[in-house]
Amino acid sequence: MPVPIVKQGDVLVASMQEALTDRALLDLRDRLSDQVGRFRARAVIIDVTALDVLDSFATRTLRGIAHAARLRGARTVVVGIQPEVAFAMVQLGLTLDGIATALDLEEGLALVSQPRREGAGDGR
Amino acid sequence: MAEGKVTWMSQAIPHQMEVDEEDVARRKEFLEFGADDAQALKSLAEIARKYAEPVIDEFYEHILASDETKSFFQDPKVLERVKRQQKEYFLRLTEGDYGPEYIANRLRIGTVHERIGLAPKWYLGMYAFYLRLVGKRLLEAFSADPKKAFSSFLSLLKIVFLDIGLAVDTYIHAREATMRKQQEAIRELSTPVLQIRERLLLLPIIGVIDTHRARLITDSVLRSIRATRAKVVVMDVTGVATIDSKVANHLIQTVIAAGLMGAQVIVTGLSSDVAQALVGLGLDLAKLNTAGDLQGGMEEAERLLGYRVVRDTDGATGGARPA
Repeated sequence: MPVPIVKQGDVLVASMQEALTDRALLDLRDRLSDQVGRFRARAVIIDVTALDVLDSFATRTLRGIAHAARLRGARTVVVGIQPEVAFAMVQLGLTLDGIATALDLEEGLALVSQPRREGAGDGR
Repeated sequence: MAEGKVTWMSQAIPHQMEVDEEDVARRKEFLEFGADDAQALKSLAEIARKYAEPVIDEFYEHILASDETKSFFQDPKVLERVKRQQKEYFLRLTEGDYGPEYIANRLRIGTVHERIGLAPKWYLGMYAFYLRLVGKRLLEAFSADPKKAFSSFLSLLKIVFLDIGLAVDTYIHAREATMRKQQEAIRELSTPVLQIRERLLLLPIIGVIDTHRARLITDSVLRSIRATRAKVVVMDVTGVATIDSKVANHLIQTVIAAGLMGAQVIVTGLSSDVAQALVGLGLDLAKLNTAGDLQGGMEEAERLLGYRVVRDTDGATGGARPA
């Protein structure tokens, strides 16, 4: 099942409900990149709350999505990374350089609705 | 015998101390305590019963003459009861059956001694005094055959040393159990995560951080961030004297992981030694957001969260204070 992408105003929300295959990830990347332009979205929020693992391919694809979206004029926020997932990612050296992160969907929406300001975690 | 085996093995103390039949057999073997010794002791039973009362009386005179041991027997009722038990205890030495029930009884008495705070030195001293008394009585009883008196005494010595071995082990075991409990308590107390403002956590770290504790800190920080929806965490390491590279790496990883969860960590109070050690270790410190001291860290955190702390100059709430 493809990841549903919900459009809310000028924000696109993609909510991952289960561990994705590599193919599904690439499909998500293509559709998001396409819809950012089509809906003139200002921001993309990717919710990974339901995932209990983020591997290197998923991390790389998330980075790819964020960079592509930025080139098309939208910022990306990854939300809902679980404590265990976060620490495992760090230990494996998987980083989300240049992508903003937030605690949950609510925080992510708050982050993209405010003018760009340093302060929130930026996924270094 | 068979039922004794079930009951004593299932008791908590022998089980925890890993004193099982095999262990007891090894102890006896090392003491060279054999069936002939048991027999020799059994043949003393009659003499023991005859002398039990006077020996116990003399024994307690000695105990009550010393201030340190006297304090354990202030209540005359307690004294009576203990005397009675002591008599049983000593008579038990010459009953000839040193099986599981005997061992369990000895372990229990060792535990009681530990609990009332009777130090091993007094326990051992009392036992030595008792042996001297019994030795004298044995010589009297076997005045015609001093050799027999001596060999019986040697048999008695073996069983007494078995007793002492068990008692000392219960002392050690009890201390170890206390130590384990305290370590547990320290560990629990050592990683508090405090919420001091909405969305702001304070994590004061004091003492030595080892790998295990670093892992606990990581775990509680990341969980607390999720539970309290914190955006900023101030980690104060003023109370940490040294950090090794493994722990430093772990803390940096924690900071990055917190970042992935949308929270920023400010590290405060890095002492000169720790700071230089971190630099010397060549770790990637660009990712650490630091402030000189806890106050600086709090101010930075408040700024990030948009708090503005204003002093109440009216002094309406007791702020009046000499300048």
